[in-house]
Amino acid sequence: MLVRRAAATILPHVVLVVFSAAILLPLLWVLRVSLTDKLTAYRIPPEWTEPRLDNYIEIFTAYRFADWFSNSLIVALASTLLALPLAVAMAYAFARHDTGGAPLRLGVLASQMLPPIVLVVPLFALFLGAGLLNTYAALVIAHLTFNIPFLAWMLVAFFEGEVRQLEEAARIEGATRFQAFIRVSVPLAAPGIMAAGLLGFILSWNEFLLALILSGRATQTLPVGLSSLETHRGVEIALLAAAALLAILPVFVLLPFLRKYLIKGLSLGALK
Amino acid sequence: MAATLAARDRRFGQLMAAPGLAALLLVIVFPILFTLYTSAFDFTLINPRHDTFVGFAHYARAFGLAEFGNALLVTLWFVVAVVVLEFAVGFLVALMLNAVERGKAVYYAILLCPLLINPVVVGLIWRMFLHPELGIANYVLGLVGLGPVNWLGDPRNAFWTLVVVDIWHQVSFMIVLLLAGLASLPKEPYEAARMEGAGTLACFWHVTLPLMRPVILVTLLIRLIFAVRTYDLVYIMTRGGPGQATDLVSYFIYRQAFVGLNIGQASALAVLLLLIVLVLTAWLYRHMRSLV
Repeated sequence: MLVRRAAATILPHVVLVVFSAAILLPLLWVLRVSLTDKLTAYRIPPEWTEPRLDNYIEIFTAYRFADWFSNSLIVALASTLLALPLAVAMAYAFARHDTGGAPLRLGVLASQMLPPIVLVVPLFALFLGAGLLNTYAALVIAHLTFNIPFLAWMLVAFFEGEVRQLEEAARIEGATRFQAFIRVSVPLAAPGIMAAGLLGFILSWNEFLLALILSGRATQTLPVGLSSLETHRGVEIALLAAAALLAILPVFVLLPFLRKYLIKGLSLGALK
Repeated sequence: MAATLAARDRRFGQLMAAPGLAALLLVIVFPILFTLYTSAFDFTLINPRHDTFVGFAHYARAFGLAEFGNALLVTLWFVVAVVVLEFAVGFLVALMLNAVERGKAVYYAILLCPLLINPVVVGLIWRMFLHPELGIANYVLGLVGLGPVNWLGDPRNAFWTLVVVDIWHQVSFMIVLLLAGLASLPKEPYEAARMEGAGTLACFWHVTLPLMRPVILVTLLIRLIFAVRTYDLVYIMTRGGPGQATDLVSYFIYRQAFVGLNIGQASALAVLLLLIVLVLTAWLYRHMRSLV
């Protein structure tokens, strides 16, 4: 009996430690490669050298890493900030007044689930015709295609979960519907709106296919730049490792602000 | 008076939703209508006068294209493989996490990591590990007397390599959602089952699984739709090859449009993919509503 109970407490830890190792070891290996010099990075069996930061400097001098980074920042910020007010108002209408009913909600969900390849073909043709290829506008518009429906869908869940008494009290005291929305509902939903905005930012930061097709040399985002790293001079894995780690850094910085909302974000509002 | 109040509420809702809906019409509905249009032409991208009307010919040709049939089949196998395997591993880990107290926060923080990494980076770092001579994977296998394995160069291996890398990247999605479901289960059914002398396995089978059914369905469907859209990993790791072993449908359409510059044909294929995803989304929507 005692043995069985001991096994029951130890078994989960065994599974979890193995699983955690499978996730962590590859990431630690990337970190190790990013800190070696270029030749050592290739050596098999591995050799150990003093850690150095050369690679983190060289990606800025040998490649246009700073440009990719700022392009990603511009596109992700612009598309999220443009989508957010539109999505907040739309989500509020869906949640409070059931505007459009089930068909419109389904439409928003479907917009969000749309495979990017379905949109990138017509967007490419349209932007080519309009002379918008290789501009920030093209990327921002393209990223609105997932940011608006994603944010709207997330925020409907937030507004539906919100208590309405304060809003109704404001209405009784003579506030218009719009004033009640701006002064009461939005401030109440502010943490949710912030979190949804951060998730939208991350979606845009990580997006690849639309940016690959619609960006040019001047507007390449980080994922597109990284994917070209591989083809240019063969694979310089030490540089690649450093670039990869810097690319995911912002997302990890944002994580603590998101913990509470992550499940809602991943389950598209279905779970809390 | 009540009727006009309701009418005003409705009107306010419509006004609030209008700008967002207008934007969606512009950036999503209009491009899709444009795709329907281009799918009926030999679209040249150069001059509209060179475009010839072909009606439904691209759709008819789609079903005759052996390569498209292959892409659909590869996608089907890929989706089934990743969803089933990620669910199996994910559920196991979620159950274990639900059973522990000590270290839970640490395990949870670790498993979130892959989810936050963008797919391009995941593809690049795994390519680096899996290089036949210079990669660490074959070196480690060599230490225990196995390998070397040609991870991405052999058609059969390449498919499963892609599946395994996708599992590494996405399995945490299943864990996070299933764990949230497990944590919100009521305690009473378990106590009742224990009173009747049910063991751990019986509890799992007769209490946990039935109670978890709605959460499991939504989790599987969301993952399934995202798996159908898989593109980035293929582009970075295999470019659909070797041969067409990993030619997932998104990548195949990309090749038609941007390598073959056959926009008309690619549009028709995109419309077909769109229909598949719409059906899956409608299915997901029904189950999501039942969960709320």
